[in-house]
Amino acid sequence: MPAPRRARAPLAFGLAATAVAAAVAIAPLAEVTGPLREALAWVAGLGLVLAAAAALRVGSLLGPALVVLLAEYTVVLVRRGDRIDAAAPLLGAGLLLYAELASWAREARPRVADERPVLVARAVVVAASALAALGLGVLVLLAAALPAGGGLARLAIGVVAATGTLALVAVVARPTSTRAPRG
Amino acid sequence: MTRRPSAKIAAYVGVAALALLAGLALGRPELVAVAAPLAVLVVAGLAGARDPELAAEVAVDRERALVGDQVTVTVTLQAGSRVERLEVLLVVPPGMEGPDGAPRTWATAVTLAAGEERALPIAVTCRRWGAYWLGDVHLRAHDRFRLFTWERHLDRHAPLKVFPVPDALWALVAPRETQLPTGSHVAPQRGDGIEFADLRPFLPGDRPRSVNWRATARRGGLMVNQRHPERATDVVLFLDSFLDVRGPTGSTLDQAVGAAASLAAAYLRQRDRVGVVSFGGFVQWLQPGSGQAALYRLLDTLMETQVFATVAWKGIRHLPPRTLPAKALIVALTPLVDERGVAALFDLLARGYDLAVVDISPLAHAGAAGGEWAELAGRLWALERETLRHRYQRLGAAVVEWPDALHLQQVLLEVEACRRRAGLAPR
Repeated sequence: MPAPRRARAPLAFGLAATAVAAAVAIAPLAEVTGPLREALAWVAGLGLVLAAAAALRVGSLLGPALVVLLAEYTVVLVRRGDRIDAAAPLLGAGLLLYAELASWAREARPRVADERPVLVARAVVVAASALAALGLGVLVLLAAALPAGGGLARLAIGVVAATGTLALVAVVARPTSTRAPRG
Repeated sequence: MTRRPSAKIAAYVGVAALALLAGLALGRPELVAVAAPLAVLVVAGLAGARDPELAAEVAVDRERALVGDQVTVTVTLQAGSRVERLEVLLVVPPGMEGPDGAPRTWATAVTLAAGEERALPIAVTCRRWGAYWLGDVHLRAHDRFRLFTWERHLDRHAPLKVFPVPDALWALVAPRETQLPTGSHVAPQRGDGIEFADLRPFLPGDRPRSVNWRATARRGGLMVNQRHPERATDVVLFLDSFLDVRGPTGSTLDQAVGAAASLAAAYLRQRDRVGVVSFGGFVQWLQPGSGQAALYRLLDTLMETQVFATVAWKGIRHLPPRTLPAKALIVALTPLVDERGVAALFDLLARGYDLAVVDISPLAHAGAAGGEWAELAGRLWALERETLRHRYQRLGAAVVEWPDALHLQQVLLEVEACRRRAGLAPR
């Protein structure tokens, strides 16, 4: 890959990620009106700035950007009342797509020339992840609509899921060393 | 290989946990629908992450090259299991240039199928002479979801010596005195040779073919021709490596080493014996020798020439006596900026050596600083250098300044002319 094209790749992926983040940030604003909309617009703006920074320069801001975008959506959900938001799977897929594109932008270093099969395989994985996220979100919403025992059972499942997720952090967020093969 | 989790894992897991807790607390399944893909991707990535089975080898296609040559570094990779993305980063040492003009590192990313063997040839261009170690390669493998990286450093370095391209020299500095072995220099002594020297009366033992019959007819007695024999000489290339004045177009040490290589090759072609003394913070020497083997030894020694910063005083008494044979012609290549190098040349003159000094001008490399004071300082420096050259000339050494723009041959012709004017070289 020629050098100028390589140098443009992180910028292109970063801009694509920012565009997705903009869609994720702006879409929930249509659900609210009045002063709350104005306040949430500021939150969306902050989320967008963090998302752009995470995609284009500071990769460590990915987590905070996701949290702010999620917080904005949570407020919209609370204001919505008991009605289920059928667009939630789209938002989940959008968040995942943004995060994957942002991490791809950070991974695509200007000095590293990726061969075409590497780029194609990565694009396929990102697209498949987004589609799978969409399907999974729909399944979760469908499952939520099914009668599943009392509130206590649901609470227990939720607590176990949240605790398991937190336990994942402790397990995976440490470097391990394995011996390199000779040769 | 060392496995490292990416920052993405913590972000995904943290956001998923927050969303799940919020979903629980608020009773909103939408938040679970948002969090689930992030958590599932991490779980899938964890389940599929395996340490890559990867064997790697680095090879360089040759051990010697000339400045401007291309050397191919081949990184051979063999994967036991599929590697989704493997970054291969070659560290390009200073003085060399990677593909696409990469100055410090060159990197590519490839995918390897299970059992696949790939050879990555990387063309590296030699831009500066020197001794290098090539093959410093870093590998970084990624999994499918880019949740983990595995890193490995290959430190099996291959040696490479890059020699300067020798200039074609057709005239060299002629020695004042020669040695006994046969060579290409006309010796001032009388003996068997080609060059006519004088006539003298015939003596018993003279060969009949030496009789000059015309002179015999004119003088009425047998007269024979005397001739100058062709002899070899000992040449010592004296490199001042105390300081290197480096600029955007090159450096004084680069010029000195290039000139030394050219001179060594040219003198050895004339069947002279050539030695080298690299006189600086780190002193290196090679006793005079002749032939092709001596040339390679000389070049190897020159390639190891470096500037080692030191304030310790060094004189030529630090050198073994045999490195500076009597009657040797010493060609000094120096920028005349370090007083230890300057003093060593005075010492050589005081000991009666036949000395020719090529003063590699540092003025061009030092660059022109702006301002009136800088200009004044530059002129003062040039005056000081000129004074120093006059001092050497008064003591019997031929000193010629070598500006960057001139070819070495022009400088040598000027040195020779200077020596003839001073009566130091045969006319």
